[in-house]
Amino acid sequence: MFRHKFPAQLVPLAVLFVLAMTALLVARAFLVPETFGDYGPYRANSVDEIAAQPIVYAGAKACEDCHDDIVALKSDSHHQGVACEACHGPAAGHVDAPDEVSPQIPRGRGYCPLCHGYNPSRPSGFPQILSDRHNPGRPCIACHDPHAPTLPRTPEECDACHREIANDKMVSPHTMLACTQCHSVPNEHLLSPRSARALKPTDPGTCAPCHSESGTAKFEAPTINFESHGERYLCWDCHYPHHPEAN
Amino acid sequence: MTPILPLLLLTIPGAEGYIYPNEYELHWSIHIVLYPYLTGLVAGAFILASLEKVFNVKVLQPIYRLALITSLAFLIAAPLPLMAHLGHPERSPEMFLTPHTSSAMAMFGFVYAWYLMVVLLLEIWFDYRKDIVIWSRDKKGLIKYVYKVLTLGVTDISERAIAFDQKACKFITVLGIPSAFLLHGYVGFIFGSVKANPWWSSVLMPIVFLFSAIVSGIALVLLVYVITSLVRWRRISMPCLNKLAELLLYAMIIDLSLEMLDFIHRLYESEESIEILSKMISSRLFISLIVTQLLIGSALPVLTLIFARFGRLPDEMRRMFYFIAAILVQVGIFATRWNVVIGGQLFSKSLRGLTTYKLEFFGIEGLLAAVILLLLPVLFLWILAKLLPPWVPEDQPHDTGHRTREVDLPPGSLPSSGTV
Repeated sequence: MFRHKFPAQLVPLAVLFVLAMTALLVARAFLVPETFGDYGPYRANSVDEIAAQPIVYAGAKACEDCHDDIVALKSDSHHQGVACEACHGPAAGHVDAPDEVSPQIPRGRGYCPLCHGYNPSRPSGFPQILSDRHNPGRPCIACHDPHAPTLPRTPEECDACHREIANDKMVSPHTMLACTQCHSVPNEHLLSPRSARALKPTDPGTCAPCHSESGTAKFEAPTINFESHGERYLCWDCHYPHHPEAN
Repeated sequence: MTPILPLLLLTIPGAEGYIYPNEYELHWSIHIVLYPYLTGLVAGAFILASLEKVFNVKVLQPIYRLALITSLAFLIAAPLPLMAHLGHPERSPEMFLTPHTSSAMAMFGFVYAWYLMVVLLLEIWFDYRKDIVIWSRDKKGLIKYVYKVLTLGVTDISERAIAFDQKACKFITVLGIPSAFLLHGYVGFIFGSVKANPWWSSVLMPIVFLFSAIVSGIALVLLVYVITSLVRWRRISMPCLNKLAELLLYAMIIDLSLEMLDFIHRLYESEESIEILSKMISSRLFISLIVTQLLIGSALPVLTLIFARFGRLPDEMRRMFYFIAAILVQVGIFATRWNVVIGGQLFSKSLRGLTTYKLEFFGIEGLLAAVILLLLPVLFLWILAKLLPPWVPEDQPHDTGHRTREVDLPPGSLPSSGTV
């Protein structure tokens, strides 16, 4: 009686459905790792496996024990905060068997631009190059000593390090102004930029020579009354001097 | 002094203002544009097919089956861009084996599987069952056995069995409409629920996605119908085409209204992101949003459709205008997806800078791979149309007299389109 009423075309569909569900359950039983989901959507055993992996990094202290000359050189340089193994790779094997295992030495051009290639999100003042245009074909270590990376030639322009600011300024009405128009830059800043800082203007009168109503600007600069315009603020609290028309 | 030109070249194509380090390069490429575009076509084509079945819009009968297999062909291709983008396609079954309910992306596997297995395949099977049984008897060679397998061993095509098929078909279609809404609404949900991204985070996103899906699906079926009719040298049913154009027009008006609502809502809210977003629209997205999406992809086809549908035009002109409008709609909807996916990654979450998307040509994430992924569903459609011909018998062959009329379906399997 039931068979008679049950539509025949549903039978194979029901069989297929049951087969698919069974296949899924069987696949789950075989393919889902045993400890999956114990702590979260991952295999709990993997934590123990990762903990059991051999340690490959020796740590900077181990390098210092033998290479004190390099450490002395590096500790005064811009790279004082860069760990040895950041460039030389994991060196635990080298510490265990110094004569048999040599750490890597990145001699090509591909490695240094990982940090020093131009990227607009890098902080201003961080030396950045365009790898394609910066002495193409020459390995970095031909001119720079990575353990004491003082520039072989003092940069002549500020944009060597302050690329992003230079880019902004280039498309602004301030493009023709020299950086030293507003910043006082001690000569030592070019050689030792961190210990001798370039100074930012603090005097609200910095902008006055061009932008006050009695200014002497050669160009057609917008002028304001410095006594009534935002008297409680410094100009650069509201205007970005490197690109004054930007928001 | 440093030469200014190389430095200018440096500023133009790259980033502008301040961006975080992980925003300089876009992570979601053109493949992620393709994915909502393809799923939109699937959902839209299915919703169009359901009009005939559920709401009894008889005039759409000539495209019912075509819409169904178009939907299936594009559904098969829909996850491929995701797999190409992520790599390791062999890992995709793990979504089913170890379900992760707190991830909307991980749940896609289930939404997809439900839609493919329960909705589309079942509906197509019930709709074609009678024909499959007849073909399994009449056809010769290897294909006969393919049809025999497709019958799943049920050869009963009595009146009672067919009546049950039709009931089942209708039931699945009713179930399929919310499923189609779910399939594409969920894609909008993925973007809309990214709280950190002001370009995406909007509760209207699933709704806007859904209506743009309906628009693109109708336009796709219109295109496929016109092209297949031309290739097969068959007369196009003008009442059907007129109805398609009308539906396309109405869906576009709703879609445009929703987009405008979203736009006005954002403007009125004027959150802190509004400045960078308006800067992005007027610079990086100007061509793809203002020109392509709004002017070429929306305003122009709406005007074309109004002119073609309600103007006094000969049928040939009408067809041509419909066809052009449908192509423009496809361009517009693709641009919509582009603007959502790429646009959402062009501005910094610091709201202080913009970056640029550089599309490569070769490579797995390149333009060539994207074009291949776009052509794949067309290939699938061709194979499906050979296996399960969706054509209805016509009462009038094309008027050249060079070719004879072909009848792919057994007599009586579907009524003539000329009766509408």
